[in-house]
Amino acid sequence: MTKLVALVPILPLLGFVIVGLGGKKLSKSLSGWIASGVVLISFVVSLILFFHLNQNSEQEVSIKLFDWIAAGRFSADLTLMVDPLTSIFLLVITGVGFLIHLYSIGYMHDDEGHNKFFSYLNLFVFFMLLLVMGSNFLVMYVGWEGVGLCSYLLIGFWHKNNSYNNAAKKAFIVNRIGDLGFLLGMFLIYVTFGSLNYSEVFSQAKFYVSDEPVLIAITLLLFVGAVGKSAQLPLYTWLPDAMAGPTPVSALIHAATMVTAGIYMVARSNILYTLAPTSLHIVALIGVITAVFAATIGLLQNDIKKVLAYSTVSQLGYMFLALGMGAYTTAVFHVVTHAFFKALLFLGAGSVIHAMGGEQDIRKMGGLKSHLPTTYLTFLIGTIAISGIPPFAGFFSKDEILAHAFAHNKIFWLLGLGGSVLTAFYMFRLLYLTFFGSFRGTHHQQQHLHESPKSITIPLIVLAALSVVGGFIGLPEAFHTKHLLKSFLSPVFADSDLRMLPAEITHATEYALMALAIIIVIVVVLLARNKYVVKGELPLQDGAPMTALPKLIAHKYYVDEIYDSFIVKPLHWIGTIFYRFMDIQVIDALVNFVGKATVWSSDRVRLIQTGKIGYYVFVMVLSVALLLLYISY
Amino acid sequence: MTLYIFYFLSFLAVLSAFMVVYSKNPVHSVLYLIVTFFSIAGHYILLNAQFLAAVHIIVYAGAIMVLFLYVIMMFNLNKEAEPHKDAYIKLAATIAGGIFMIVLIGSLKGVEHIENLNTPNQSAGLIKNLGNVLYRDYMLPFEMASILFLSAMVGAVFLGKNELK
Amino acid sequence: MKSLLLLSGLGVGAMVAELINIKRFLFPLVCLGLIATIGVSIYDWNTDIHLFNNMLRLDNFALLFTASLSLITLLWLIGAKKYIETETSISDKYALTMFTLLGAFIMVSYNNFTMLFIGIEILSISLYVLAGSKKNDLFSNEAALKYFLMGSFATGFLLFGIALIYGVTGSFHIDVVGEYCRANAGNIPTMFVAAIVLIIVGLAFKVSAAPFHFWAPDVYTGSPTMVASFMITVVKTAAIVAFLRLFFAAFGYIPGTWQAIISVITVLTMYIGNVTAVFQQNVKRMLAYSGVAHAGYLLIALVALTNLSGGAIFYYTLVYSIATLMAFHILYIVSDNKNEGVGFEAFNGLAKRNPLMALGITVSMLSLAGIPPLAGFFGKYYVFTAALEAGRYKLVILAVIASLISVYYYFKIIIAAYYHKSNKAPIELSPAHRFLYIASIFLLLFLALAPDFLIRWAK
Repeated sequence: MTKLVALVPILPLLGFVIVGLGGKKLSKSLSGWIASGVVLISFVVSLILFFHLNQNSEQEVSIKLFDWIAAGRFSADLTLMVDPLTSIFLLVITGVGFLIHLYSIGYMHDDEGHNKFFSYLNLFVFFMLLLVMGSNFLVMYVGWEGVGLCSYLLIGFWHKNNSYNNAAKKAFIVNRIGDLGFLLGMFLIYVTFGSLNYSEVFSQAKFYVSDEPVLIAITLLLFVGAVGKSAQLPLYTWLPDAMAGPTPVSALIHAATMVTAGIYMVARSNILYTLAPTSLHIVALIGVITAVFAATIGLLQNDIKKVLAYSTVSQLGYMFLALGMGAYTTAVFHVVTHAFFKALLFLGAGSVIHAMGGEQDIRKMGGLKSHLPTTYLTFLIGTIAISGIPPFAGFFSKDEILAHAFAHNKIFWLLGLGGSVLTAFYMFRLLYLTFFGSFRGTHHQQQHLHESPKSITIPLIVLAALSVVGGFIGLPEAFHTKHLLKSFLSPVFADSDLRMLPAEITHATEYALMALAIIIVIVVVLLARNKYVVKGELPLQDGAPMTALPKLIAHKYYVDEIYDSFIVKPLHWIGTIFYRFMDIQVIDALVNFVGKATVWSSDRVRLIQTGKIGYYVFVMVLSVALLLLYISY
Repeated sequence: MTLYIFYFLSFLAVLSAFMVVYSKNPVHSVLYLIVTFFSIAGHYILLNAQFLAAVHIIVYAGAIMVLFLYVIMMFNLNKEAEPHKDAYIKLAATIAGGIFMIVLIGSLKGVEHIENLNTPNQSAGLIKNLGNVLYRDYMLPFEMASILFLSAMVGAVFLGKNELK
Repeated sequence: MKSLLLLSGLGVGAMVAELINIKRFLFPLVCLGLIATIGVSIYDWNTDIHLFNNMLRLDNFALLFTASLSLITLLWLIGAKKYIETETSISDKYALTMFTLLGAFIMVSYNNFTMLFIGIEILSISLYVLAGSKKNDLFSNEAALKYFLMGSFATGFLLFGIALIYGVTGSFHIDVVGEYCRANAGNIPTMFVAAIVLIIVGLAFKVSAAPFHFWAPDVYTGSPTMVASFMITVVKTAAIVAFLRLFFAAFGYIPGTWQAIISVITVLTMYIGNVTAVFQQNVKRMLAYSGVAHAGYLLIALVALTNLSGGAIFYYTLVYSIATLMAFHILYIVSDNKNEGVGFEAFNGLAKRNPLMALGITVSMLSLAGIPPLAGFFGKYYVFTAALEAGRYKLVILAVIASLISVYYYFKIIIAAYYHKSNKAPIELSPAHRFLYIASIFLLLFLALAPDFLIRWAK
């Protein structure tokens, strides 16, 4: 059994090597099938491990590959481990990952970088698996950086377009800010606990007093990393831009897996967070604000992928809200259901874009229902699931979050409910504008409308099925059934659960809350239908006059512009000054002065020398004098 | 008596070193440098190191300075070709140099308590002792210095060689 | 000692080869000689020989660096063969290279201040000439003269420092000086501290640490690209090791006198190097500033001065040298073997022109930037760990921030290589160069898997 553990990440790595080295020598279909095949086998192995964990009382299976670093008192080994939390993530990564690989075979078929794409995709899966399977923070960090690199490569995949490159760079740089937090958090963990191994850190952490300053510092620094990777306020700006990448990438990396790495990190270090309620509170606050904030931006976006991107940011906010309330299981539950329906929605959007010949503006779509029946049906299921209408997957997970919020803090609940109302509205707006009404594109596009090939629709159907039934792994206790996910994950969160009594609400209240949520959502859906289908309203064209608030929202609250003028520009400015001052004013001016003062004769070079060297020696002597002064004061 | 000679030689050395920098005419600079070397050789004699004094005069004042003069005359550098430097730079350089000197002198305070400095070995500079030290204790650095000179020579030949293509 | 004899022999032999006209055998001969020095180091392992009245001490630390410097020079030679053999005076260049390396060997194994001085001088004098080895190129001349003038100035400081140390302790032996430091730890005369400062200045100049780094960008940019790559790797390694030996054996007993000074120098070096590199348009100059910045990271291990420092510096210099050599060599090829620096646009479309080179420059840049899982990350990691063990948290935080800045300029090259188009013809590589790149890439990946394995040697 332990040998199998190593197999999970090694297979995608193997795929990367084969497809990457094979290059153009491998035929397109072969490389696609190899890349998908390795992920499929990984998935099967993950399933075996899952059932093994489920049936046996073992808490984790691990295999030590080799001693990696041993420096002084510190040592880290490359040990892979699978416990219930990892197992859930493994299933999502390899399962959804496989479907998206399969989808990509059809989607990327005509792209010239086909093989490169699959090798990157496999590399990404490898790093993502490393991230969740490591048994210490260092391995997690390596995976964390690795997925960031792959994300960078894949966002800029169509690099002929310069704005795509900028999006890739932006993603990378914003993520580095978060990584800095993670790195510092890791240093602090090492300094505090003397180790980076999960088992040692967490078992020592148990003996700390609640809200010890060092724990708050560690958790907040780690959370900065999570904020960067999982696109929360204020570092979310890279994710909408990241939609420049091919659509399967958006589905896999920027919806289902990589962006949930932050959730995984917090859930993994749950005991640290439980012992630092102050940090938890900040996590919840950031989460709920992001959830509502991103949802409002989603209301007025007209690019089909951008709407989904803001929706992802918003849903990630819900997950952090759940984490912040100590409802770790709920957060993981939402990760799972979200992976199903958000991957489905992205892939559906990809299918639409494919049919529209690359068009992404929903104002130019409409009436696609009859042309793309399978896509429409599956997209509808995804929309219902994300809006939280029972019995689809999103309902149960979101309802659980809202129930926790109600018990925890009524304001969070109200905001959360508001966010889910907005979600329902913008998702149905998207659905109606895309699939209903009459076609608004060009004549040329209309003639080419077609349903996508099998390799695209099959993943859609599978994901749609999962979006329907996925919620049943976590039926609420109010239904008097067993919460399967909760009992499966309980060993991981046992220590936290001991310390934090979940705020209970009565079953009657829970029923009432569910009913309220469902009614409001249905009303909103009807409103959207009235506005976009019955009245046939269309979003305004770019540049059309708008009133202040919609304008503010349509421009995404000008966050990008604010960052640009307050952070990017000043930095650039300082840089320019440095350049102007040091290079041009001091060094070049000196050279030019000497050069101009004398004839441009054969000893020009010699004279330049004198000028410069004099200056250098001057600085050197001055520094020596200052150093000597320093030691003798 | 020795003390007065020491002060005189030191004054001469510093003054002529200053004049090396100050004179505009390169030939004068070289001549002042020779004066500096002679006064330093005088210091060696005061320290009972006659051999070093002789070598110093022969090698530096004799060979190297003659070479300098030769080069200056051959390239006809005897005109005041020194470019004018900015007065500010001069001022800044003077101040920096002055600070450096003061600080260095300052850091020498407390020297009188250092044991080694107060009990010098009077016969260290005699040729016999020098030979013993050089060829016994410091054999390796002495031999390695030959590699240093060899590499300098190869370099000089390499850079000076006239390449015919 | 065997390796010193071997190298002197090779140097003299190279000149004899000119006489008897067997120049074409020089390259294999020199390569064999370098492999032999690695072999000799392995043979002498664990013997800890003190030579000639304790002038040299061939402990494992010295042998390790002798071997790693030989390896780096070997890699360098494979890339630089073409440069060395394009013009005349082939044997002179080989001889000077051997002498430089000889100086470096002395700098990693000295046990006496006179040997340190002679080592530095042998290394420097040969390099002054190599920097000017492109005689018809004004930039090369400029670099040589500038390096020479600044270098002699710095040597003056070093010598003055050594003289003051002799004045206080009455000895040139590092061990005696160390004993003096230990015995008088609470009562160090100001003159001795001034001597330490002057020696720091002299050595900081050689590792190109700020504010004594001014020569470095100009000299690296002006020198022939291949010579610059030699200077920025071998010389920097030798100088930092000389630093480390001195501080381990002697001044380490009195950290209070110098730690603050080196900390300031370290921070200045990291920031001046990284910030200035960001705005360079010329890749060669950018790499030169990056070399300055890396000197800063290396100095962190010196400030920490724990048991881990030696291993950290060994690993860091090895990885840094491999990555830098590869970067310079690729730069040399994409700039059509010219020595004037080129802008980032020279790398445009490299992924199409030659995928191996594009991969090579990517791995090299990522490693220099310290991005896991490449070896450069672990180099930084060990240096930082050493500093953390010594409790120097602020320094580590500053260093992490500085290394974040560096990501920006390293990525510019990768972006140019992969994301910009160019219509220049594909590049054909000779088998030797292909071997060089594959070996370097392999080493940068392989060393990341087994950092511990290497570090253990340096203990």
